[in-house]
Amino acid sequence: MRHKLVHVVWMFALMWSLAACTAVAPVAPAGDAGGTGQTKTIAVVTPYMANATTKYAIEQFEKYAKAKGWNVTVTDTNADFNLLVSRIEDAVTQKVDAIVLGMGDPAQMTKGLEAAQAAGIPVFGLDAGNGPGVVLNITSDNGQLGRETARYLAEAIGGKGNVVMFTHDPHPGVRARAEAAAAEFANYPEITVIEKKHIEVPGPVDFARSVTQDLLTAYPNDGDIAGIWAGWDEPALGATQAIEAAGRSGIVVVGIDGTDFARAEIAKGGPFIASIAQDFDGMAKQLADIIEAYFNGEKPAGDSVQIPGVMVTRE
Amino acid sequence: MQTESSLSTTQLRQDANRWLRTYGTFIGFLAMIVIFSLLRPGVFLSPNNLRNITEQVAILAIVATTMTVVMVVGDFDLSVGALASLSGVVVADLLIQGVGLWPAVLAALAVGATAGLFNGLLVAYFGLSAFVATLATMTAFRGLSLFYTNGSTLFSGIPESFRLFGQSFTGPIPNSVLIMLAVLAVTWFVLEQTTFGRRLYAVGGNAQASYLAGLNVRALRLSAFVISGLGAALAGVVLTSRLFSAHPTAGEPLMLNSIAAVFLGMTMFREGEPHVPGTFVGVLLLGVMSNGLNILQVNSYIQLVLTGVIILLAVLLSGLARRG
Repeated sequence: MRHKLVHVVWMFALMWSLAACTAVAPVAPAGDAGGTGQTKTIAVVTPYMANATTKYAIEQFEKYAKAKGWNVTVTDTNADFNLLVSRIEDAVTQKVDAIVLGMGDPAQMTKGLEAAQAAGIPVFGLDAGNGPGVVLNITSDNGQLGRETARYLAEAIGGKGNVVMFTHDPHPGVRARAEAAAAEFANYPEITVIEKKHIEVPGPVDFARSVTQDLLTAYPNDGDIAGIWAGWDEPALGATQAIEAAGRSGIVVVGIDGTDFARAEIAKGGPFIASIAQDFDGMAKQLADIIEAYFNGEKPAGDSVQIPGVMVTRE
Repeated sequence: MQTESSLSTTQLRQDANRWLRTYGTFIGFLAMIVIFSLLRPGVFLSPNNLRNITEQVAILAIVATTMTVVMVVGDFDLSVGALASLSGVVVADLLIQGVGLWPAVLAALAVGATAGLFNGLLVAYFGLSAFVATLATMTAFRGLSLFYTNGSTLFSGIPESFRLFGQSFTGPIPNSVLIMLAVLAVTWFVLEQTTFGRRLYAVGGNAQASYLAGLNVRALRLSAFVISGLGAALAGVVLTSRLFSAHPTAGEPLMLNSIAAVFLGMTMFREGEPHVPGTFVGVLLLGVMSNGLNILQVNSYIQLVLTGVIILLAVLLSGLARRG
């Protein structure tokens, strides 16, 4: 029971941290197809195929990998990390050329990764993490997500005024976003971050909505608050609803993740002016290129590659 | 002479103790209001802020009120938060699929009642402890919501008419507050003014004796869970209307907060028994505290600490007084 609960909580934490995002313009597949002539086999293993975001990222990777002439197998263990270890071991037995982890924390599958390492099979993380035997992990640059949205907000309010930040520091990704955003706001001498509010999860939308209501009460005059920066889209939605319900004007909101509901709010032309989407398509494409280079004997320079996000605005 | 005066001193002390334990939490609540009003004059007690507070607590109050019924019979329902999420997801999905407003809402309530029935069967007829049974169903309901929505948020295509429950007003009063008042009134009436209610209290007081007295203890416990399931589902509908979107875990915070509110209520007015007026003041206390601390711009983490401390103080105060 407890085991299962931990999984559900875990899954949930990942789900919101990787909240859905949709495609950017498709990129033409790379012309170059493999180097050695012999068909390569890649095993993609994931615990999270049920998650729309994971599914999308893996499908994009499959597309780019097949364009390179590789065989790709995808295995989903439906959040079962124990089974995931078995599937990695199976892939090792089948002597695949590379293993790709479609999300999921490598720390929870160490035994499988060690087996791959022992067999000399490289493991690549697709928004997973680093761990033993993981040659490289490709992921979003949370700092860039925070910085870009903060800059957009700062410019939207004309570089001056009071800003409220909605944060969730216990989550490392959201924390990195908030730190980068705060640093960006510090570049604007006339912007003051007056409040940093910790947003509780689960239930971030309603929580943020109530907090925003109270902040509007505490700062009752137009101009007291110029903007609200939220570490992810859910609290930005709650803030937007509170501002609209209170009929306050002159407050703009930005979020992060480019979720479908955020895009809908942004399109409405209300207080929610921008979000930023993680570029899973770009991640998948670049990972395929990195693996190809690896097959050709080019070892990557580091064990981590960070992909910038793509702004979602009204334009 | 001496004996008599010491007797009357003891009597006095007992009276003071009783007074403290019955009204201590309530006095604390009033003191909190006075402090917030003094620190932010003209802001905290403004009609706008009072409306905000009642709107903010309405959903929690609905869940806590029906949770009170389960706690009256001596059980818990840990599944209410997950159930609120599930019913919210159901109502949103049906509305998006074009099912009419009222059929969709009734379907969501039916989900709540069925889930409550299931909880009640597990506890009252299969003899599982309420803690274990509702912990398990909580997990299952959460899984259902996530499965149903694929972990995403439902928002696109919800008809405007659905704003009725969580966003519209009747005169100056938010409809969510009216729904809350109705739930409070009906539950209070059922618990305090009907034979059914008195029987629920009897079961909570002594299930064995109630059984020997000829009460259908199992059916009574089961009915309490059905009421709680209905309350959770109704809260889920109001929450989804308020957010105009269904998030698969949106109702989760309601579970612990509603239990906390009932416990706070048990320290008020009456001795150690859950009751609707106490629960309502408990809910208000939690709501006023979070609103007031936000307005005073208190650090979010410290707010959590203060909330815990206040709950402990209330329970300790009533407990200590009981010993005296």
